[in-house]
Amino acid sequence: MFFEDSDMEDMRILIKTANSIQQALVELRKYRYLASLERLANLVKQFKELGIEARKLGLCLARNWLSAADRCCSRANRSLNEIPYSVSRIRQLTEQPCLKVPELSFFIEELKQLQQEFDHLDFDRENNNISVETDPVTLDGLYLGPFRIELHLNKLCKLYEANPYSVVALDPHPAATDETVTHPHVCNDKLCEGDGAITIRTALEQGRLFDFFTMVRSILNNYNPDSPYVSIYDWDGEPCYNCGYVMNSENSYYCSYCERDFCEECSTYCRCCDETVCEGCVVSCESCEEPMCRHCVHKCAECESFICGACMEDGICPDCKQEELDYENEQSEVRRSTKQQRQEETAKAKGRSESLVENQQHSSQAGAAVQPNSMGQAGVFQGQE
Amino acid sequence: MHTFSEFERTKDMKVLFIDNQGGGFADYLEISHSTTVEQFFSDKMGGRKPDDYLIRVNRQPVPKDYVLQEGDRITITPTKIDGARY
Repeated sequence: MFFEDSDMEDMRILIKTANSIQQALVELRKYRYLASLERLANLVKQFKELGIEARKLGLCLARNWLSAADRCCSRANRSLNEIPYSVSRIRQLTEQPCLKVPELSFFIEELKQLQQEFDHLDFDRENNNISVETDPVTLDGLYLGPFRIELHLNKLCKLYEANPYSVVALDPHPAATDETVTHPHVCNDKLCEGDGAITIRTALEQGRLFDFFTMVRSILNNYNPDSPYVSIYDWDGEPCYNCGYVMNSENSYYCSYCERDFCEECSTYCRCCDETVCEGCVVSCESCEEPMCRHCVHKCAECESFICGACMEDGICPDCKQEELDYENEQSEVRRSTKQQRQEETAKAKGRSESLVENQQHSSQAGAAVQPNSMGQAGVFQGQE
Repeated sequence: MHTFSEFERTKDMKVLFIDNQGGGFADYLEISHSTTVEQFFSDKMGGRKPDDYLIRVNRQPVPKDYVLQEGDRITITPTKIDGARY
C-alpha cells in the first residue's frame, strides 16, 4: 500500500498518481481521435479502390472484355465485403461522445476506493503502473493463487489496439500442458475478457479505475467452461507423451518399457501377458499380427522375425515351419520316386532276361539254328542277368 | 414497497447509475424520493440476485434499505464475468 494514512506525504503521492492517470486519459482522448482518423482514412482508401474497379469495369465493357469485367466484379465484391467491418470499427470510436477527462479529485476518490477494496494497492512511478493484488483465486476447487492486476498508464493511450494491462500470477499454478496459462482465461499475462471486454474498455475510457479493477477481478473469479485456454478439468492432468492429450489419473496408461504416460488411443496391451505398452514399444507378432510386449515375443531361429509364443513351433515361425515341412515332403517324395524308378528298372531288366532264356530254350528245342552259337549273337547262359 | 407503476409515477430526483454490464455506460436516471437500493436494484436488474453484484453508492457499500438521495452515484458491477480465450 502506498497511502496508509492521510498525512501530507501520502497525500502528495496520491495527487501525483491521480495526476498521472489524468494525463494518461488526456493522451487516450487524443489517440482516440487519431485512431478514428486512421480508420476513416482506411475506409476512404477502400472507396477509392472501389472507384478504380468501377472505371476498369467501364473500360472492359467498352472493349467487350467480359472475362476481365468478371474479375473486376470479383474484386469489387471483396472490397464491398470489407466495408461493413470498417464502418463498425469507426462507429466503435465515434458513436459515443468523447467524454471530458474528469477532475483530479475524481481520480483521488477512485484511488481511495481502490485502497478500501483491495488489500494491496501500489503505484510504480518508474514504470507508471498502478497495480492491485487479488485474494487467492480458486475455481471449482482448483487453486490458482493470487494475481496482480497491473494497469500500464503509458499504454493506456493504445487502448483501441491492445490491452493496456496485464494479469500476473503471484503464486503461479500453471496448466500442466502450458506454463504460460496461469488461469483458464489468462495466457502470457494477458486476460481474455470475453463478456467483459466492452465494459472494461468503457471503464478505462472514463477513468473509472475501481470499476476496471473489480471487473478484471470478477473475470478472474469466474470460470467460463465454453472458452478456456485450458479447461480446469485438464489443469493438473498429465499430457500424453505421444499426442499431448491431457489425461487424468484414471485414463492414463503407463508404459513400463519407455517409462512414460500415454492416453488410451496411443497405448495398447500385450495379448499374451496383458502388460500395457505404448505404440512405440509394442511389437506385432509377424504371424498373427497381435500386439505383444517385448518380453512375450521371440525371434525365429531361421528368419529372425518376431513371433509370439502361441505362433512359435519348435523355435521357428509358422512360415519357416511350413517351409521346413514342404522341404521334408519334397525330399521324401524324391526318395520315394527314386526308389520306385529303381524298382521299375529292376523289374524291366528281370523281364528281359527271362524272355531271352525262354527264346533260347525254344530255339534249342526246335534244332533249327540259323547259325552256330557264339557267331553273330551274344551267348546267354542261365544264371547270367 | 413500490410497484413499478408507482415507482414510475413518483419519480422526482436524479441519480447517476453506472451499469457495468453489457455496454457499461453511465446514465442519469429519475427515481422517486423514497427509493431504497434494494428497490432500485430489483427495478434495474430484474430478477437477478444482489449477491452476484458489487453494489456501491457514492463509492461506499450500503445496507439494502439505504434510501437513495438526489445526485447519488450508484455502481452495479457483476462479481462473475465470463472470460474467454479469444
